[in-house]
Amino acid sequence: MSAPARSLTRLLLPVALLTLTQVLLQPAAAEDLSAIDWVTNNDDPPIGDPAAKKGGTFYTSMSSYPLTLRVVGPNSNDAFAGWKRAYTMSFSLVMRHPTTDNYIPMMATHWSVQSDGRTIYYKLDPDARWSDGQPLTAADYVHTWHMLQSENIVDPSFNQYARDYYEEVVAVEPYVLKVVGKVESWRPLDMFDIWATPKHAVTLEEGFPERYNSAVLPVQGPYVLSEQVVGQYVVFSRLEDWWGRDKHYMQGMYNVDRIHIRVIDDNDRAFDFFKKGELSYYTVNTAKKWAEEMDFDAIRKGWAHRKRLFVDYPQGVYGFAMNLEKPIFQNKDFRKAMQHLFNFDEINTKLMSSAYYQQVSAFTGTEYENRDLVPYGFDPRQAREHLQAAGYSKRGDDGILVNAQGQRASFTLSYGSKGLERHMTVVKQTFQRFGVEMELRLLEPGTAFRNGLEREYEMTIMSRTSGLYPSPYQYFATELKETRNNNNVWAYGTAYTDSLIDVYRFDTDKAHRVAAMYELDAIIQDEAFYVPFWQAPFMRFLYVDSVVFPASFFPKRTQGMTDWQVFWIDADRDTRLQQAMAAERSLGEDTVVDVDPYLVKDRIEATLRAAAAR
Amino acid sequence: MMVWRLNPITRKRLQRFRRIRRGFYSFAILLTLTVVSLFSNFLANRRAIVVSYEGTLYFPTFQYHDMATFAQQDEYGFDDVEADYLALQARFAADASNNWVLMPPVPFDPYEPDFDYAEPPPNAPDSRHWFGTDSQGRDVLARLLYGFRISILFAVTLVFVGQVSGTAIGSLQGFIGGRFDIYSQRFIEVWSTLPFLYVVILLATFFRPGFLLLLAIMALFEWIRMTYYMRTEMYREKTKEYCLAARSFGASRGRLIFRHLLPNCLTPLVTITPFAVVGAISALTALDYLGYGLPAPTPSWGEMIDQALASQNRDKLWLSIAPFSAISITLLLVTLIGESIREAFDPKQYAQYR
Repeated sequence: MSAPARSLTRLLLPVALLTLTQVLLQPAAAEDLSAIDWVTNNDDPPIGDPAAKKGGTFYTSMSSYPLTLRVVGPNSNDAFAGWKRAYTMSFSLVMRHPTTDNYIPMMATHWSVQSDGRTIYYKLDPDARWSDGQPLTAADYVHTWHMLQSENIVDPSFNQYARDYYEEVVAVEPYVLKVVGKVESWRPLDMFDIWATPKHAVTLEEGFPERYNSAVLPVQGPYVLSEQVVGQYVVFSRLEDWWGRDKHYMQGMYNVDRIHIRVIDDNDRAFDFFKKGELSYYTVNTAKKWAEEMDFDAIRKGWAHRKRLFVDYPQGVYGFAMNLEKPIFQNKDFRKAMQHLFNFDEINTKLMSSAYYQQVSAFTGTEYENRDLVPYGFDPRQAREHLQAAGYSKRGDDGILVNAQGQRASFTLSYGSKGLERHMTVVKQTFQRFGVEMELRLLEPGTAFRNGLEREYEMTIMSRTSGLYPSPYQYFATELKETRNNNNVWAYGTAYTDSLIDVYRFDTDKAHRVAAMYELDAIIQDEAFYVPFWQAPFMRFLYVDSVVFPASFFPKRTQGMTDWQVFWIDADRDTRLQQAMAAERSLGEDTVVDVDPYLVKDRIEATLRAAAAR
Repeated sequence: MMVWRLNPITRKRLQRFRRIRRGFYSFAILLTLTVVSLFSNFLANRRAIVVSYEGTLYFPTFQYHDMATFAQQDEYGFDDVEADYLALQARFAADASNNWVLMPPVPFDPYEPDFDYAEPPPNAPDSRHWFGTDSQGRDVLARLLYGFRISILFAVTLVFVGQVSGTAIGSLQGFIGGRFDIYSQRFIEVWSTLPFLYVVILLATFFRPGFLLLLAIMALFEWIRMTYYMRTEMYREKTKEYCLAARSFGASRGRLIFRHLLPNCLTPLVTITPFAVVGAISALTALDYLGYGLPAPTPSWGEMIDQALASQNRDKLWLSIAPFSAISITLLLVTLIGESIREAFDPKQYAQYR
C-alpha cells in the first residue's frame, strides 16, 4: 500500500524543489518601470446611458439549471457560465469599446504594449475590490494563470489555452501586472487578456472541481449570486457599493437590483411565460415565430414591445463548402454553376419568412469584409454556361447532365443538422431541375463536423463563428492543405493567398491589412468553393414596457442580451404597467419594430440593390 | 409460403379466420391498400400517365421527357428541363387541338415543392392539394401515399426475411440441440444485447443509408425473436409420439423436418408475424423521425411526424392529422389481423372442456 505513496513522493519532491527555487529567485528580478510609456483612453462615450436609473427586478430564463458554479473545470462551459461572466467577473483588463472599437480601461487604468508585440504591462485600478472587501491585485491574475495551468482543474482545454497563449504572467508590483504572450501579435491586448481569480479564496490543490462546484466565491463584478433554488431559479443581486459604479465607462450600466433567472427548459414555454408577463425579456430565435406569433395581446396593448435591432457582429463562415480534393469540384466552372444554382431568395421568402440576408463575404461583419463584393445570385442561364464550360452539356436518360466521359453531374451533400433538411431538399429540387443531382446525407452532428475537418465529403454545410478579427490562416493556409483535421475544409490555398494572409497576420499597418483581406475576400469569392448561406445581423427580442433601453438599445457589437447590461427598469413605468394590466387597459401599441442605429440594414440592402441592378 | 399440403387442422383454422369478420375485412382492406400503393406512381405524380402529342403517345411515368419534346419552354428559355405536364394539360385544353394529357388524380409528386401560393408553406388543404402541403411546400397526400408504400414494403420484406431466417435457425437449434444449441444460443444472447439504434447510427456514418442497406441492418436483429419460439417448439415437437413413429418408419431427416415437424410448429410463426409487421413499421417510422432512417427527401411517415411536431407547425393541424391517422389505421388493421389469426389458431378452441 505504501509503494504508490513512496513513488508519489519521489515524483513530487523534485517539483517541489523546483518551485521553491523559482519562488526564491523571482523577487530578485524586480523590474524598472520608469521607462514604460503608459496609455489610457477616457475620451470615448460611456457604454450605457448615464441617465439610467438603478433599481427593480429583471426576470429572465435559462434552459437548464447550471451543473456547476465554477468557470473552469468539468461542465463549466455551459450557458450559465455566460451569465456568470457577464454579471460577476467578465472584466477584461482592457476592453474594446463595443461601439467605437477603441481600447478602453477596465480592470487596468493604463496599459503599455512593448515593441515585441507580445509583452504588455498593465497598471491595475487601485480601487478594485473583491466583493468580500479584499483588494484586487496583480497576484490574483497570476493566480488565474496558475489555475489555468493546473491539472487539478481537470480542464484540458484551459490547460491547452494556457500553454498556447501565455509565456508568463508576472506580478511586477502589487498593482502592476506583466503578461507575456506566446507569439507576436498586432493585437496583443485582445489576444493575451486574462481575468482575475480571488487568490485568498481559491486554492489549486487536488479536488478543485468538487471543492468549488457550488461555492459562491468573492467576485469583482457588480452582482453576486444571492439566491439559488436547485432546478428552479437563481438570483443575482446588485452590490450597492460596487467599486466600479462611478467609473467613466460604467455609467448607466448594471442598473437593475435583482436579476432573476428562472429555469424554463422549453423555449416555447418561456414564450408563454413572457406573454403572461412573468418574464421581462425574451429572445425570439426563429423567423417563423417572429413573422407569425408576434401579434399577441400584450403587444397589441403596448404592455410589451418587440424590436429587431440591427447590430454589427461578425457572422462567421456559414455556407456550402466544396471539397477541392474531389475531382468534380476541381473544375472552377462547375463550382461557379453551384453558386448560380443556389436560389437563396426562394428559400428565404418561402421557408424563412424573408427574415435573413445572404452573406457575401467570407468575413462578414468584421472590418475586413470586402463590401464591394456582389453576390453571385440565382441565375440558371449563367449556371448553364458554366456547366457547359465544365463539360456537362448533355442530359442523361434521367435528366441529369453527363460529360463526354459519361460521368454524371452528381455529388453528395452531407450535413449534421436535421433542422437544415427542409432547406436542403428545396435546394436539391432546384439543382435537379437544372440537371445537377445533389444526394442528401444527414450525419450525426459530431461526425459531420469531423468529416469536414478530415475532408471526407464532397459538399458539406460549414458553420464556424468568428471573432472581431477573422482568422484566414486557419481556413485558407496552403500548409494546412497538406494535413487533415483542420479548418481548411476545402483544401484551398495558393502561394499568393498565403502572402495576403501573411500581410494580415504580421503587417502592423492597418491599411495594408485591410487591402490584403479585401483582395483575399475577392479571390475566395471568385474561386467559388464556398456558397455563403444566410446571415442574421440582428437581435430579435421582446421586453415588457417597464424595461427601458438607451436610444440605440444595445451597443453596436452585441450578440446577446447578456453582453451589455445597459437597460434599466423604470419604477413609474412599472407601476403604470401593473395598473394597466390589472385594468386590462391598453398603453398603445408600439409600432416601431426595426431599429437600425448603426445603419447595418441600410448597408446590406444597398449591397443587395447594387447586385440586383447589375 | 405454404409449401405443405394444408392439414385439416390448418384448413379449419383458416376457415375460422375467415369467419372472424374484423380480421378478415382488415386483411382485405390492407391488401387492397398495399396493391393500390404499388401503383402510386400513377396515382400521385407530376409526370402525366399518358400524353398524346402530334399523333404520338408518350408514357412519361418512368421516363424523362424534356420540354422540347412538347414544344415547351421555361421562364429562362430552357427547353431541356423536365416537361411541365400540368401546364401542358392547360395548353392543350386551351388550343383545342387533338392533343391531350391524362394526369394522375393527384398531379404532384412527393418531392417537388409547390411555391405558387402567396403564403409561405405549409399551406392548408384546398382543392389543389387535398391534404395541404408540408413545410417545404410538398403535397402531403403524395407523401402519405409513397410513405405507405415504402413502410409496408419495407415492413413485409423485413419480416419475411426475419421470420424465415429466424425459423430456420431456431428450428435447427431445437432439432439438432446439444452443443450446437448451447453455443448458438449464447451467440444469440450476445448479439441481442447490441444496441440496435447505435448500430444504425454508426453504420449511417460509413454508408449512405438506402432502402436495402437499412433493410439489411434491421434484418440483422429481426430474426432473433423468432428463434426463441421455434427452438422451443422444435424441442417439444420432436419428442412427441408422431415424430418418434415417423422416425421408426425410417423417415429421413428432411422428411421429418419438413413434412412432420415444421407444419406443427407454425402456430407461433403465423401469430407473431402480423405483430412483427407492426413492429417493423413503427421501427422504420421511429428511425425516420430521428433522422437515421431513409435519407431525405424520401417520403416517410416518420419525417412527416417530425414536421408535424416541430414547434412552429403545431397549429398546422393537417400536418399531424395525415400521418397520425395513417399510422393508426395501418397499425390497427395489422393488429386486428394478427389478433384474429391468433384467435383462429388458438388451441384452446379444441379443448374438450370448453
